[in-house]
Amino acid sequence: MSIRVRGVTKDFGRFRALKSVDLEIPAGQLVALLGPSGSGKTTLLRIIAGLEFADSGTVEFGGADITDQTARERHVGFVFQHYALFRHMTVFENIAFGLRVRPRRFRPSKQQIREKVHELLRLIQLQNQAGRYPSQLSGGQRQRVALARALAVEPSVLLLDEPFGALDAKVRQELRHWLRHLHDEVHITSVFVTHDQEEALELADLVAVMNEGKIEQVGSPDEVYNRPASSFVYNFLGNVNLFHGRVDDGKTYFHDEAAGKPIFVRPHLLEITRQPNGASHFRATTKHINAAGPLVKVEALTDWGATVRVELSQAQFRALHLAKGEVVFITPKEVAVFDKDEPGAGEYGPATAR
Amino acid sequence: MSASTLSRIDIAATHGAAGKATSEPAIVRRLLIGIALLFLLVFLFLPLGVVFFTALGDGVRVYLRTFRDPDTLSAIRLTLLAAGIAVPLNMVFGVAAAWAIGKFDFAGKSLLITLIDLPFSVSPVVSGLIYVLLFGLQGLLGPWLIAHDIRIIFAVPGIVLATIFVTFPFVARELLPMVQAQGNDEEEAALTLGASGWQTFFRVTLPNVKWALLYGVILCNARAMGEFGAVSVVSGHIRGLTDTMPLHIEVLYNDYQFVPAFAVASLLALLALMTLVVKSAVEWKSQQSAKHRANEEEMSA
Repeated sequence: MSIRVRGVTKDFGRFRALKSVDLEIPAGQLVALLGPSGSGKTTLLRIIAGLEFADSGTVEFGGADITDQTARERHVGFVFQHYALFRHMTVFENIAFGLRVRPRRFRPSKQQIREKVHELLRLIQLQNQAGRYPSQLSGGQRQRVALARALAVEPSVLLLDEPFGALDAKVRQELRHWLRHLHDEVHITSVFVTHDQEEALELADLVAVMNEGKIEQVGSPDEVYNRPASSFVYNFLGNVNLFHGRVDDGKTYFHDEAAGKPIFVRPHLLEITRQPNGASHFRATTKHINAAGPLVKVEALTDWGATVRVELSQAQFRALHLAKGEVVFITPKEVAVFDKDEPGAGEYGPATAR
Repeated sequence: MSASTLSRIDIAATHGAAGKATSEPAIVRRLLIGIALLFLLVFLFLPLGVVFFTALGDGVRVYLRTFRDPDTLSAIRLTLLAAGIAVPLNMVFGVAAAWAIGKFDFAGKSLLITLIDLPFSVSPVVSGLIYVLLFGLQGLLGPWLIAHDIRIIFAVPGIVLATIFVTFPFVARELLPMVQAQGNDEEEAALTLGASGWQTFFRVTLPNVKWALLYGVILCNARAMGEFGAVSVVSGHIRGLTDTMPLHIEVLYNDYQFVPAFAVASLLALLALMTLVVKSAVEWKSQQSAKHRANEEEMSA
């Protein structure tokens, strides 16, 4: 079911958590709400769920206005960051809860409930844990139970609040892939909140980047990463080098304190050469080299005293015979210029200069 | 309360494991233990022993005869009645107050928390006097009550009211930290799964606080049966009508009827001891389940 949020504003006391947010989520998509803490992403998710009510604005599910409906009436599946499993109930009882609390007329028979729960247990690969209590499960298992519990009531949309936030890196990775597969199987409109850009870019069909109670950009992972709409998005999605300079006739001047605008270059979009190369190069001295991992990370000091981070492949690094304390020339393959530091001021868009 | 005892035990245990460097010399330890035991003996075991010794001093038959006296029986009945009304009411109130304070933010919340503690901080005599001033002959509502032939002061309703007032913080105080620590997540989960408010309360909230609730109820009951001060003020000491067990004991004692006085006292002491046994059992049981959970948490981690 599609979700549409229009003009939603929410205040907590004097703090404005959401500033007239608009968002459209097409049916069947897996969408990430991505942003730093305090950006309003969880508040937006809770408003969609009906756990929180907007001060103004509307929420629609499949075209129907459900702004005034309670969480109970909206039939959403909600997965909490800390699982919120019922600690005094077994895994089976947790998953069955949503079916058992239905009014008698709509309640499935015991046999039907049992079948449904076992079907879900198979889905989350915990068939043998039905009789266990949440405290007897690992974090990843608990999160899967929480997901099964939410799916048991066949919700119209699935909402997940930092679903992998409390897990360690390895389990996180596994669960991420598992959730992606699950979504491809079930095809339920899903929204998840995360502050991890990697997670959002890897998992989602659509990413909504949030900052200070506003949505900065909505797009596919490819769009938001490669064509960020604002300096904030550029900055938030991946590592970045920030210069104050200007672009004239395709030539980039990296150091211009007076007329400077923020210029962003990702570390892997910088090239290191021994000799000056192209129009937009600048000189720097290598300061630190970290060759562990697939990419070699080089830190260099520019002539005007700024630190620049460059990433190059192992092959490039070997070809260069780079050592610490050497003078090199750095050339950008692509830069992005934004008018101001402020979020949402990305009228220029990414400008390419060679 | 139960949580703090738990953590204290933990601290003691870790100290023991830390080795001898931090422990006191043997003589200091023995002296401290000796003083503590002596204190317990003089102030707890001796009086308790005296109660039972005096009560049974003239033999079991005399002891049992006390409980055939109609005034004594009436006092026992009244005590059970007052506790029987006060405890359930305070249970409902305590759950409601803890729920409201723990789960919601509202204006005057800290004031409510302070007010819940009021019966603890005010002298019971003052508590009793409040009711006399409200419902007594010369009281605020006195004339109206007389006009409608309703008797509260020097009657059973006054005793019940005073008991309710004095025992009202127990359940709320016991539940509050528990409810606050647990937060709202499970309730919110229940709501999104389609549970109604009542279903959420009975299936999620209540099972999570049941041990704290039971503990609070036990303490509340102990106090309700033993309350003297507030009840004494509103009772009027009408024998066979408005005397509770504690009041009846005083009356008997003042009449130099030592054996009956101590016999009733021994019954009250027995009730208290039973309460303590049940309380310990509940504490032990809830600790067991907490430990059980902690252990398994470790194993699964």
